[in-house]
Amino acid sequence: MNATLQDLLLNDRGFAFEPSSGQTCQLSSTGLRIVRLLQDGADEPVVVDRLLKEYQVDEHTVRRDVQTFLGSLKDMGWL
Amino acid sequence: MNTLRIAISGLHRGENPQPGAGIIRSLRRACKNLRVIGLVYDAMDSGIYVEDGPDAVFSMPYPTSGSRAYLERLDQVRDREPFDIFIPTLDAELELLVHLESGLAARGISVCIPDAKTLARRSKDRLPELAKKCGVPVPETLAAFDVNSAVAAARGLSYPLMVKGQYYDAKTAHDEAELMAAAGKLLSQWGAPIILQQRITGPEFNAMGIGDGAGNILGLCCLRKTVISDQGKGLGGMTVKDARLEKLCLNIIEELQWRGPFELELMKDEEKGDYCLIEMNPRFPAWVDFPSQFGCNFAAALLELITLDGVTSLPPCAAGWFYLRHQIEVLGQVDNLAALSGEGVWRKPERARPPVTAFSL
Repeated sequence: MNATLQDLLLNDRGFAFEPSSGQTCQLSSTGLRIVRLLQDGADEPVVVDRLLKEYQVDEHTVRRDVQTFLGSLKDMGWL
Repeated sequence: MNTLRIAISGLHRGENPQPGAGIIRSLRRACKNLRVIGLVYDAMDSGIYVEDGPDAVFSMPYPTSGSRAYLERLDQVRDREPFDIFIPTLDAELELLVHLESGLAARGISVCIPDAKTLARRSKDRLPELAKKCGVPVPETLAAFDVNSAVAAARGLSYPLMVKGQYYDAKTAHDEAELMAAAGKLLSQWGAPIILQQRITGPEFNAMGIGDGAGNILGLCCLRKTVISDQGKGLGGMTVKDARLEKLCLNIIEELQWRGPFELELMKDEEKGDYCLIEMNPRFPAWVDFPSQFGCNFAAALLELITLDGVTSLPPCAAGWFYLRHQIEVLGQVDNLAALSGEGVWRKPERARPPVTAFSL
């Protein structure tokens, strides 16, 4: 996993702070869940699988939303 | 305990703030027995009039007046307000003071500044040479001594580029016409050379520290500029912790064997992700007092270095502290201006404030 993502500081309300760049971001509750899963070592298929179990949403929507969210993390240099 | 008597310059806190007022605030946080003598070039320097500002203020001749005029004025000031430590905070002062070390020492005035050779090595036009030695990337940088040579030099770079005065100020030029206007203005304001630098796109980082003269850093505070004014001034910043950035700073200070305060200005290249050194200032930045509020008092550490010739390192600056520049109005009276403009001296009265007028509705 990306060292930056591992270093990301999070609070329970989804406020994220990346200490090496000073960037901050407010995550949604789902975004927070995804980041925590990634920090625990999950990869994209595992994240999708866990979200499918935890949220009542169809697989296509979960896959699309997870991909979009991971793209945003990459754009921020966090992934 | 003996009172420490310290002269400090650079007291303006307006649109283009100087570090002196912040240094005084930091020192007052750390030392109770302190008498501060402000050395100013303008009676309108706002830091003269702040409540926790200097105890006495003296006008100074510009450093460009030469060493004789400068030392004579320091003697006159010391006759009226003795001091034995001087913390200069302006780049133009440093250029003069590095040549006056023996004159200052003979008078018993202690300063903590690099020698002339080291100061010159970090000048804007010699930055590429220094960066190469330290293995630090720098944007392509060229010096020009007049408008025509600036236009010619710019043909080797691509627009947009940064045009910088030798001491202060920087402007972005998007084309040749803008370059000519910027070059003319900066040359007339700050003299030659001006510096042309390839513009780097990405977030800006600053690092403040103190070098001990033996290649060590006594404290380092790195931040990302989070709010930037139209003039490129940092109106807000967030402390960061990045081993890569700290190593880069250490490489530069080790190479220079830097003595005294410094500020490194860097951009993080958006495309490559590398830090690029764009400037090294031989003094504290205007935000010097910010870390003293969470326990990293750089001005006090400098004082310790000067008075004890050694200092225990400052605690590390944790990531996640931020500052926002906040402007207030300070109070002065026309008498203050008259005293400084006419006699060249103003002492803070015991009660600086006028009586409060009571209104009844």
